[in-house]
Amino acid sequence: MDNNDIIAARRRALQEALHRGDTVVVSPTGQVELPSESSDPTQPRISVPQGKLA
Amino acid sequence: MAFYWYQRDPELYRAEVQAMNKFFPSFTIHQLPDGSGRLYWRGKVQPSGPDGMVWDLMLIYKNDHPHAGADEYGGSIQILPVQPRLKDIAQRMMPLLEETYGSYDNCVAHGFGLGLPHIYRDNFGRNEEYFICTADPKYFKTGMTRSTSAASSLSWACKWIVLCEMWLNGEISDDVAMEGNY
Repeated sequence: MDNNDIIAARRRALQEALHRGDTVVVSPTGQVELPSESSDPTQPRISVPQGKLA
Repeated sequence: MAFYWYQRDPELYRAEVQAMNKFFPSFTIHQLPDGSGRLYWRGKVQPSGPDGMVWDLMLIYKNDHPHAGADEYGGSIQILPVQPRLKDIAQRMMPLLEETYGSYDNCVAHGFGLGLPHIYRDNFGRNEEYFICTADPKYFKTGMTRSTSAASSLSWACKWIVLCEMWLNGEISDDVAMEGNY
């Protein structure tokens, strides 16, 4: 799997997680991630509160 | 009684600053130069990751923070993208939406009256600007012991940006984007 495939697969996983309403987190740079993706344990990630977009 | 929330409740102000410094340390706090006394955070995010678009955002507190009226989308923290400007993107999308739905009225009927999903317009200075509808007001917490912070609002905004970019790229349908059930 090349790098583009990895990025596309990650994006699909994120899209599905968002649609299911799974918890996602946001890194200090604003990157939206799955909780399992957090690569640097020293960087605090904020969990996005549950809530329907208005 | 102090008019501004940050004078009335210095503990809440400290908690807001602490949360932003912890989760989004590159953002800095300022006061609008328009005499309104309103505070705002300014900084950049890249919600889709290092290869994604950089968004320059302002998170502007209303002076009654924390508060969420029935039609106050995003509660008392307004999220204004400075770059890219939502109004510019929306104006580019509107002709495509009108082509898809056949008329402007049909765009309105499908929730795309402003050209993008989940946005609202409001006056800002002398201009009318488009803001991100981060969350239904019922999810914005306004209690004495627990209220929605700028950090939480920014995390909602980052999620909105990812969804908006997916929609603009054709990765999710209009219905899914409008559903907003995330």
